[in-house]
Amino acid sequence: MHLTQRLELFPDHAVTQLLFRDVKNAAELRKKAMEGEINGALINPAMIVMPFQVLVAANKAVHLQKIGKMKTRSLNSEIIFNLSPTNNISEAFKRFGISDNDNAVHIVLVHSVDEDHVADTVAKVDGQQLQVDQVSTLTDTDKIKKLFRVTPKEGNLLDAVVCRMATKDVVAQH
Amino acid sequence: MALDSSVSVKQFLSKLDLLKQGAEARVYRAMFLGKPTIVKERFPKLYRHPILDEKLTHRRTVQEVRAILRCRKAGISAPVVYFVDYNSHAIFLEDIVGSITVRDHIASTQLSQTKPGEQLDLLAKKIGQILARMHDEDVVHGDLTTSNMLLRTSADNGEMDLVLIDFGLSYISALPEDKGVDMYVLEKAFLSTHPNTEALFEKLLKSYTASSKKSTAVIKKLNEVRLRGRKRSMVG
Repeated sequence: MHLTQRLELFPDHAVTQLLFRDVKNAAELRKKAMEGEINGALINPAMIVMPFQVLVAANKAVHLQKIGKMKTRSLNSEIIFNLSPTNNISEAFKRFGISDNDNAVHIVLVHSVDEDHVADTVAKVDGQQLQVDQVSTLTDTDKIKKLFRVTPKEGNLLDAVVCRMATKDVVAQH
Repeated sequence: MALDSSVSVKQFLSKLDLLKQGAEARVYRAMFLGKPTIVKERFPKLYRHPILDEKLTHRRTVQEVRAILRCRKAGISAPVVYFVDYNSHAIFLEDIVGSITVRDHIASTQLSQTKPGEQLDLLAKKIGQILARMHDEDVVHGDLTTSNMLLRTSADNGEMDLVLIDFGLSYISALPEDKGVDMYVLEKAFLSTHPNTEALFEKLLKSYTASSKKSTAVIKKLNEVRLRGRKRSMVG
């Protein structure tokens, strides 16, 4: 159900993703995340094309944390910020984070390779767990295309989004 | 602290397959976040003054990444950038699997076919079109050769898709002179790598002229640059 990927550049770190729909306690989850009871990033699945996108954001976040150059205050908020095409932090949280009345949530946990928080985390969510790659069923393609200003000639949406995420720091924001 | 991550990248790279080493960078192949990836690492040049080296290397990395994004936005196929480490100046890009260089394609087509001309005409036309689109976006590649163009079978329709790679020397410029030089570099590389392809290159230029809105000025400059080149009579 969940998806765990080791970070090649940071071999003791791994990223685990979990996806839920019909979530009834989004507000509670948000609170837990803010208080640190859930040590992860809560993302709005409508903005995720495929899990790879999340991995790219997480990898960049860990890299920046290691060199002390994160733009936000924590690893988890950095992951959310990296998902956004712009350099505006609050906008990133608004668009890519979850709000109290959302009913789907994509959870990202960055942890060391020997830790396993899956069961703990699943227990806290009041909702139905999905296979992470099913996030594409929840994707709001039009919203993403609009936000990322993807032109039809660009082809593959995931490629367009990932490329922008990866180059955001040196490409002047339209 | 900055050392921390550089060490990770270097450790990672030391275990990989080195694909090639140029004067500018080392290129590796790896799996990264589950995807086949090319890592281009611009290593420090000890013969340069360290401050200049850092500035130059950083600038080249940034220019490469910007050019790729600009091309992609215009609908030109170029590898997707997955991650850029500005510390070790390493670019993690999509590995275009199942592709061959245009160079190899032309070479093998010339060997195997009785009438290579027809097969390659379509290719020349496509190259002309793509370069026209690139120059119309004011992206100058800087190192146009047939080794820097890949042919991949497109997933959607089985057609051959042309992918441009190695934007290491690219920059943004609207000047016809720069674009003309870009084409000149390609012409020189083309004709020296592939014997008896003058007519083919002409077709490429024709296609370029037809597809680009700003081509007249560029071709004019190309002709001027041709006259300027090495071993040319300076009779005006």
